[in-house]
Amino acid sequence: MWEVIKSVLAAFFGVQKERQRQHDFQHGKPGAFIAVGIVMAAVLVMLVAAVAIMAAR
Amino acid sequence: MRKTLAWIMGAGSFLGLASSTLANGWNMPAGVTDVSREIYSLHMTIFWICVVIGIVVFGVMFYSLFRYRRSRGAKSANFHENTSVEVVWTAVPLLILVGMALPATATLKRMYDASEADLDVMVTGQQWRWHYEYLGENVSFTSSLSTPRSQINGEEEKGENYLLDVDQPLVLPVGRKVRFLMTSDDVIHSWWVPDLAVKQDSIPGFVNENWVRIEEPGIYRGQCAELCGKDHAFMPVVVRALEGDEFDSWLAERRKEAEAEASGVDREWSMDELMERGEQVYGAICATCHQPDGSGAEPTFPALAGNEALLNDRDRHIDVVLNGVSGTPMAAFRSNLNPVELAAVITYERNAWGNESGDVVQPSEIQALLEQ
Repeated sequence: MWEVIKSVLAAFFGVQKERQRQHDFQHGKPGAFIAVGIVMAAVLVMLVAAVAIMAAR
Repeated sequence: MRKTLAWIMGAGSFLGLASSTLANGWNMPAGVTDVSREIYSLHMTIFWICVVIGIVVFGVMFYSLFRYRRSRGAKSANFHENTSVEVVWTAVPLLILVGMALPATATLKRMYDASEADLDVMVTGQQWRWHYEYLGENVSFTSSLSTPRSQINGEEEKGENYLLDVDQPLVLPVGRKVRFLMTSDDVIHSWWVPDLAVKQDSIPGFVNENWVRIEEPGIYRGQCAELCGKDHAFMPVVVRALEGDEFDSWLAERRKEAEAEASGVDREWSMDELMERGEQVYGAICATCHQPDGSGAEPTFPALAGNEALLNDRDRHIDVVLNGVSGTPMAAFRSNLNPVELAAVITYERNAWGNESGDVVQPSEIQALLEQ
């Protein structure tokens, strides 16, 4: 699970180690990456919204 | 040693060129408000950040091209990826962007805070002039281009403020927060005065807000910044900023004039009075399309001089001026001009340039029509 989160974070940032990429493509399940990706995207949106609301005070 | 010297000279001449360009008036003005100076300093900060990035990036690129050229036996490296370099070139721009966004957002927040204004001015864009209304003060007027036609047509040398002069500037107080409520009667215009750092669209059916607190008395000029038709270039903005007490007496004077004008509706006007007033109104409002001599510009703008239809039908003439003609550029002037101005301009059109109807249209008659 932690591996999947780390890979999704790397994808958000846009840089990934080649070794990790190989590993993900051989052992990971696509569904896990998609699910974690959706959840983390929602978290990112809420984070940005929270910052915006704080800044607008 | 020589190489370093060449580098320093190259960078130096670039910076010199950049600064001289800025000093020569090519740059945006720092303006006369707190917000405008903030925007200016943001603009300069971001400009110099871009200059430094440009020098570093292109410097590395040109140096590498030159130093590692093939004729000197350079061999290209053959590796696929380097995670740490990629992390660095992603994180550094991210930090630069966030660093620029923080102060920019703080300024934007201040720009949008139009609350607690001392004075409200309604700004209405019209093809092709600006209408200003001091809300709650019973003072409103239309501000039209006053650059002479002869300069526009090239028959006379162009003046210093060519196309940047109006008959009645917007007068504002120094040191008070003035809120603008911007809207439009016809198409999208944009009220722009660089020294005040205000550029706000005026959109039919919407009211946009903006505000300004001018710090120095003076004349500030601007233009319509949204292409709005034939005379888009001929609807400048002129703001005259006065000290608070001077402004107060100006406003009181205008209020008195407005009251006098309102009482003028009831009395009987003579032909000469109406003709004199009508000529002013015609020159400021009608002449841009129908031409100063009433000759028009067929087929879009009909001639008024010698116009049989106009001369034979007085009621229709009044109706056209009050309510416009839908499907044509002829606008309705019932809410832009007061009854005296309307009566005067109609009388003028019926009796100027060889139009000899002899008709007099009284302000009271127009007033009655407006109240229907």
